[in-house]
Amino acid sequence: MTRLPPGRWAAVVLFGAAALTPLVVRDSFILDSVILILLWGALSAGWNIAGGYAGQVSLGHAAFFGLGAYAAALMSARYQQSPWLGLLVGVALSMCAGALIGYLSNRLRGPYFALSTIAFAEVLRIVASRWRGFTAGSEGVPVPYRPGFWTLGLSHVAWLYLILAVALGCYALQVYLERSRVGYQLAGVREDEDAAEALGIATRRLKIKAIMVSAAVTSLCGSLWAQYVGFVDPAHVFSIDLSIRFALNSIIGGIGTALGPFLGSVLITSLETYLRATFSGIPGFSGTYLIIYGVVLILIVRFAPEGLTGIAARWRLRRARAHA
Amino acid sequence: MLTLERITKRFGGLTAVRAVDLEVGAGELLGIIGPNGAGKTTLFNVISGYYAPEEGRVLFQGQDVTGRAPHAISRLGLTRTFQIVKPFGNLSVSDNVMIGALTRLGSTREARAEAERVIALCGLGPYATARAKALPVALRKRLEVARALATRPRLLLLDEVMAGLNPSELAGIIDLIRRVHAEGVTLIVIEHIMAAMMRLAQRIIMLHHGEKIAEGTPAEITRDRRVIDAYLGEEFTLAQA
Repeated sequence: MTRLPPGRWAAVVLFGAAALTPLVVRDSFILDSVILILLWGALSAGWNIAGGYAGQVSLGHAAFFGLGAYAAALMSARYQQSPWLGLLVGVALSMCAGALIGYLSNRLRGPYFALSTIAFAEVLRIVASRWRGFTAGSEGVPVPYRPGFWTLGLSHVAWLYLILAVALGCYALQVYLERSRVGYQLAGVREDEDAAEALGIATRRLKIKAIMVSAAVTSLCGSLWAQYVGFVDPAHVFSIDLSIRFALNSIIGGIGTALGPFLGSVLITSLETYLRATFSGIPGFSGTYLIIYGVVLILIVRFAPEGLTGIAARWRLRRARAHA
Repeated sequence: MLTLERITKRFGGLTAVRAVDLEVGAGELLGIIGPNGAGKTTLFNVISGYYAPEEGRVLFQGQDVTGRAPHAISRLGLTRTFQIVKPFGNLSVSDNVMIGALTRLGSTREARAEAERVIALCGLGPYATARAKALPVALRKRLEVARALATRPRLLLLDEVMAGLNPSELAGIIDLIRRVHAEGVTLIVIEHIMAAMMRLAQRIIMLHHGEKIAEGTPAEITRDRRVIDAYLGEEFTLAQA
């Protein structure tokens, strides 16, 4: 048997634990937490394809999330069709939007690109809030619950396995990006576009493709989220808070690594859930969790700028040196 | 192999390259000299597709490649190195070279094997697993050459790969350039170090204020009055005496 690298072992443990949870507990709060950890992890993995592997840091990925969420919600609420159909429509729309954003990434670099992605998501938020006849405006769209797989009215356990499958797919996609030809070429683009061009890599086209795939994954997760949560409103699904969250999970977990987004999600999602549950009951302290949350983020960025996977790599290096 | 027809490149009011004609035959080793700002690197940028010229045409193996994207030109077999080296800093030396090899090779396994061969040729073997940004300047210049070579170019443009090297490093890279040339790669070399250029180049052209003012064998170039005035200066004349 070939030995797995440590990161793969960690992934086996993480996804294995998630898969075993429903066999051990029936508590819907815990199941819900695991589902959200996996879903936010998958979303960050989607962001990581553009932001980490291709080096195109976007702060507007909520645009794709919102397109997916609205496509699925409107398809089931307004047209009484399967949300899966809406999911496909969302993915198609998001890939078009991704192509547009990708085109922007070829005109604008670094912070200017990030700013333009924020603007893009904001435009969609305003459209969704104002186009009352179609999107119901800022009131939002309640998603009808119709039991069944085709209508995505699932139990907590079924949701957990569905989202786990999506998360595993995202993880596999990232592993592919670490080892494949296109993955290496993408790394070249991220490190230095001019040098990549000189080596025969069509950098512009490759960046657009990466952003389109990233958008598709984000949109798909957005659709599932809408069906899971059961309510979509523009102020949330197109918010910059969401965009930052996708980026933050990856950065904290380890940007440009396959496991990073999921580790980041484990830490951030569980911390947030725990702090919110602890402090929300105390009058006058309901916002405290945001302060603690902020302090933790500052500490991580200060002491582990390469993220959690970076810390693990450093430990391994130190241990290897101690053995030598 | 390469033909330039009256290439002119302007930046606003400044004409960086003016009506340069050039013919480079297969298997040649051509040197380009000229003072700072003479337009040498600009000419490279035009040939390799980074700048589109205002006037003139670039023909590579009889094909008009003027204004094509650098990656398209590279895939035809014309690539370059950068004066200010551009390593993929966070990747290993081996990965850097492999990315070059992947352009022609579909599988990562073949590309890895090709990278190993090129790394050995360039004397980078002991540093294959090092991060590119951890390398000292002399090795980064070698990496620049190795990565370009991994694309299997027919024509390679080397932009000041000798600048900033000490005498022993210099001898090493000259040796490397000779070996690359011996493998059948046509080379155009920009260099400031005249002594090295004299030893390497079969033919030299001199650019001054964007114009080609002299062309000939190294011996002819050093005797050319215009070259001596514009570039080599009195000191060189005295040293020759």
